[in-house]
This record gives sequence, C-alpha cells and structure tokens, in this order.
Amino acid sequence: MRTYALAGNPNTGKTSLFNTLTRSYEYVGNWSGVTVEKKVGTLLNKIDRLVDLPGIYSLNPLSRDEGVAANFLLTESPDAVLNVIDSSQIERNLYLTLQLLEYRKPLVIGLNMIDVAKSRGIRIHTDKLSQILQVPVIPIVARTGKGTDAILEQLTGMPTSIETPFQLDYGPIVEQAVVACASYLDNLQLELPDTRWLSLQLFENNTAVKESLARMMPMEPLEQLYRQTEDAIVQSGAGLHLPQYLRSVRVAYIQQLCEQCVDRGKQKEHSLTERIDALVTHKILGLPIFLLFMFLLFKLTFDWFGQPVSDMLDAFFSGPLSDGVNQALTALGASPFTHALIVDGIIAGVGGVLVFVPQIFMLFLMISFIEDSGYMARVTLVMDKIMEMVGLNGKAFIPFIIGFGCNVPAIMSARAIEQPKERLVTTLLTPLMSCSARLPVYSLFVGVFFVSHKAIVVFSLYLLGIVLALLLAKLFTSIFYTSEKSMFVIEIPPYRLPQVRSLIRNTWEKGKGFIRKAGTFILGGSVLIWFLSYAGPSGFGVEMDHSFLAKIGGLFAPILAPIGFGTWQAGASLLTGFMAKEVVVSTMNIIYHAPDMAGLESQIQMAFTPLQAYSFMAFILLYVPCLATVGVIKKETTSTRWTLFSIGYALVLAYIVALIIYQGGQWLGFS
Amino acid sequence: MKTNTIALSHAQPGCIACIHSISDLDSLVCRRLLDLGITVGSEIRMKRKSLFGGPLTLESNGQLFGIRKQEAAKIEVQIR
Repeated sequence: MRTYALAGNPNTGKTSLFNTLTRSYEYVGNWSGVTVEKKVGTLLNKIDRLVDLPGIYSLNPLSRDEGVAANFLLTESPDAVLNVIDSSQIERNLYLTLQLLEYRKPLVIGLNMIDVAKSRGIRIHTDKLSQILQVPVIPIVARTGKGTDAILEQLTGMPTSIETPFQLDYGPIVEQAVVACASYLDNLQLELPDTRWLSLQLFENNTAVKESLARMMPMEPLEQLYRQTEDAIVQSGAGLHLPQYLRSVRVAYIQQLCEQCVDRGKQKEHSLTERIDALVTHKILGLPIFLLFMFLLFKLTFDWFGQPVSDMLDAFFSGPLSDGVNQALTALGASPFTHALIVDGIIAGVGGVLVFVPQIFMLFLMISFIEDSGYMARVTLVMDKIMEMVGLNGKAFIPFIIGFGCNVPAIMSARAIEQPKERLVTTLLTPLMSCSARLPVYSLFVGVFFVSHKAIVVFSLYLLGIVLALLLAKLFTSIFYTSEKSMFVIEIPPYRLPQVRSLIRNTWEKGKGFIRKAGTFILGGSVLIWFLSYAGPSGFGVEMDHSFLAKIGGLFAPILAPIGFGTWQAGASLLTGFMAKEVVVSTMNIIYHAPDMAGLESQIQMAFTPLQAYSFMAFILLYVPCLATVGVIKKETTSTRWTLFSIGYALVLAYIVALIIYQGGQWLGFS
Repeated sequence: MKTNTIALSHAQPGCIACIHSISDLDSLVCRRLLDLGITVGSEIRMKRKSLFGGPLTLESNGQLFGIRKQEAAKIEVQIR
C-alpha cells in the first residue's frame, strides 16, 4: 500500500479530482499532537491511499487549516505528491509547485481546468513544462474526469525516489547557508524530510516547520544562522528580508518558466460570472437576494419537497412496518417486555427521527450546492460589512451556513479564519446556527401549531439564531480582544455549475452521519428512555406518570415553568436532547406513547399552546450544543474552560430568550 | 517621471490601476495578496464597490478577489 498526498491552491478543483480518483473516503484525525482531520481516500485501484490536504497557496501557513498541509509533509512521508494546478492561474499556482518540488518526493502535476484556460486564450506547452521541471505534467478536466486515468496511471507507476532532484539556485549567500543548515540537521541523525527543503522552509520563516523542529532540537544555532543570512541578504541589497528574498527568486524563476511554456492570447472575461455577480453582489440587492435564496432553501426543504416525502415515510413506519413487526413478534411469542421495547421504544424512537431523513438530505444538498457553485465566496463578501461591525469578518459566515447542516463540520471549517480570536468567537457561536438535527423538533411543532406558516416560522428561528450570534459576537469580541486586528482578503472563484455526481456524493457524505447517529445514539437513547419510562420506583410496567423518567423530568419542571413548559415531559426530553437534539422527538414519541406522527401531534396539541410551542422551539435552538458539538469544541479550542463556557452561555441565553418570548408574548395577549 | 498615485479605494469601478506601493499595508493582508499573486507592479481592475464602505471586488490577471475598503485605502496605485 502506498500513500499519495494531494496538494494544490484553493479553488483548483482539488476536491473534484479527489472524488474522481477515489472510491470512498473517511476523515482520519489526530497525528503528532495537532488534532486536525485529514481526508483519506482509497484509490480506484483499491490498494493505495490518497490524502486530500487543505487548499494552500504556500507551505507557510497563515491559518490553522493551512498548517495541516505543512505538518503532513513534515511528519508523514508520502510516496508521491499529486499537485493540482488551475491552468488559468498557472503562474500563481506554480509557487506551491516549486515548494513541493523542493520537497524531493516524486511529483505529478495535474493541469486542471485546461478547457477553461483554453477558452480564455491561455495555451500551456505541457511537454516543455514537464521537460524543464523533470516531472510528469498531465492536462486534466477533473469535473468531467478527462485525463484522470492518466493521472492514476502515472501516480501508481511512479518510482519511489527521484534521480535528478529539482534544485533552484538561490544565489551564493543563501546556498551557503542552506548547506550549513542542512548539514546541521543531517548530523542530528533524526528522521526528517529532505534537509534542503527543511532549510529553505526555515529560511522562509515557515511557522509550522519551526514549531515542529523546536520540539526535536535546540533552535538557537538555526536562528543564529537565519539572522546572519538575513543580514547578508539585506546588506547586499538583494531583498528586504529573507522570506521576501526567497520568494523573489522563485517568482523570477516562475516568470521565466511561463515565458517559455505559456502562450497568452487575448484574455477573455468570464462573461457568465460577470453577469451573475452584477446581480448577487449588487450594492443594494446583494443582501436581499441572499435572504431570498435562504428562504427558498427552507421552502424547498419543508414545503415543496422534504415534508411530503417525510409524510410518506412516516406513513410507512407507522403503518406497514409497525404492523408487520407487531405480527412477527406475536407469531414468535415475544414477551410483553420485548414487544414493548421494540415497538414502543425502538420503532417509535428511531423511526420518529428517521422520517426526517428526506428533509435533512434536501438541506445538505442545498448546502453542497452553495459550496460547489462558488456562491459561498460571494456570501462572505456580502456579509463582511455586517460581520465587521460585530468584530468578525465575512469568512466567519461560512461556518454559520455550514452550521445549518451540522455544527460539527461547521466548527471545523472555522479553521480557515486567520485570526485566532476571531476563530475562537466563531467556534463558540456556531452552535447557535440551527442545525438539521433541530429540524425534526421544528417540523413536529410547526406541523401542529403553525400549519399555514411553516416555512416562515422555521425561517424565523434560523434568523433568531443568526441575529443572536451577531449580537453575542459584538459582546464577545469587545470583551475578549482589544488589540488583534481583523482582516479580510478573499479569493472569488468563477461560478461553476456543480456536477450532479459530486453533489450527490457530498450530500451523502454529510447526511450519512445522521443515519449512523440514528443507529447508535438515538437507538441507545431510545432504549434508555423507554426503559426509564417503563420502570419506576414501584417496579416495571408502571404508569408513565410514576416512572423514573417522570421523576427525573419533574425535577426540572419548576425551573421551566416561567418559560412556558413546566411539565416533566418537557424536562425529560430536554435532558435527553443533549445527546443529540433530534432525540427530543424520539423522547416525545415514547413519552406520549404515540403510534405515529398524527398521534404524537394530537398529544402535543393538548400539552402545548402555540406560544409555549414557540418558546420551546427557541429553547431547543439555543440551550446547549449537542454532545458531538461539545466534543468538537473541546478539540478545536483545546480548552476545557472555553468548552464549559460554550455550554454555560448557551443555557443562560436560551433561558433568557425563552422567558422574553413567553412572558412578552403573554403580555402582548398571545397564548 | 511624474507619478500621480491615489489610494486604491478611490479608484472608480471599471478603472485599471497599477500597484505602486503597499508599504502601509498590514503584513497579513500583504501575504494573502501575495498568495493571490498580487504585489507591487501588479495590474488590478476595480470591479465593484459596496454600500456603507463594505468590501471592494477587484480583479487581477483574471482572478477576482475581495478586500476591505480600509485595506484598499493603504494601497497606492497609479491609474492607467
């Protein structure tokens, strides 16, 4: 088994290529002290592995996200590197290529989007490029799969070492220092990557490389060498500082390379991108268009597609499936206990959540569309001013949108934010984004109380989450940081029509976690809840009101009374909702002993008023991040204090908001 | 040679300019622009401005990108 690394600039179609080259993938985390996940896929040959590194412009990281790539090259030794290049931006992309060539592992270059480049009048002489760089260069169109067979063939047929390693001449001063530095590193007899590469990365002031080496050796001699070399460079007038000098040598080389290998005809504009952008990033219309887009997303998820399909699924679970299982259990002579466990516990609990799969997949599909089409970058642009006012930047809106799907990957995507404190605040606030797991709760309640205004009521909850996140961002940023400067520079890729294949795959990858959760967490939770409702101080098979569940839930009832739902049932379902928010629905299914959705709805109608229901939904939205989210907050902040803070502030916030909704609503005369 | 430079933030949409100086710019922003291949001497075109001093959309070498107006104010350009 061999391992290949896939590296390239952001927006070069790296993910498309990864999807074409691999059959399946998984996230593998936690190596060498830095807890970050990398995506590892199995190649189509079913033997070798391909590691998808985050998109980077250079090996020197600015954000934590980018540090993953440098750390990977430092600590793991891939057998070869596959470098994807956006052909229409070849000059800028080649910067990373040079750094990868210096890494001195076999390299294959995939010139992606060669069709786009051609249509824009850019012609690349691949043979010449390949000849000069001494590596295979393969033109590809990752979206359609053109040329990817050749990539696979090249990659798997690569020798494990290179005969004539690439070497760029950095001039006598730097070359001398590199030799000194490399021999110092060689003498340490450690297991390190190519020491010339390491030396150059050190001289480029690569923070990830420095940190990693500092764990293994005293840095003083290296720092001294750095200072000496920099002084010599500055004195000779060749550069302002060492990293800038190294960059200028590389850029000069790339320019020369492009003169030989790239023909630029008349560059044409992306006319479609122009026209769409004129509308969606319009001065005045930009924001309303974004809101309209989000509203359509909810319409599609709830009214037009998701809900009808969910209803069909519900009819199946409560009808044929329950009946069939009932008959089978009776035929098998199952005990009343087993019978109750399976029908009232598992089918009610797990089935009650599984019926929402169509809605959740629809939501994930829409989010994948936003990600793949290039609209996401425009949203950050449209939102930056508002985000700046609350002390964050437009990029923080990406985790917020992904958070509508699931808070866990959303928090991970906050790594792309450069400023550490902005990232922290974004991480803490992302759980306020209403994720798909809260959707079953809304669906249930709006289905009962707000039938004619489903989409608008749910939309209001999502909006509530965003507005509160923005207000708290203002509060947190003014408390937590005073000196750190906010920054915002974003690359805006041209629009691309997402491929159906990649949309389906992305949606499945995101949504399968929900189904898996149904089989584990929710199954386990349902059994536990059912058992607590079945057993009581006086034995098994007790009346629900005398069960352990009623006793536990009852403890919370007095606290919850001022916010509108002081029943043991609400208390118990909120408690179990910490595992995963959709468990609230499972719990209610079991507690209210509902045979199907219609049964549960009529029970709920008796237990809540519309105002109480709205207050309950707002509380569910805000009260605590679910277990998985708490886990990822802990991992990303590496701080127990911040993790506890994220739970604590959410509880307080939820209580205050629900109190305002319920008491204020009553005062206004709603019921 | 007479140079008449203005701040990039003052450039009108549609106008093409050449970067003259970025010495006042924050180093992080500088690095990000470098990542996009943009530095002194690069030709950039102002595409769009937004309301209330929001970010500007610019283009360089066929690449679209966005930066804040405050940042653009620190980039000196020569209008072509």
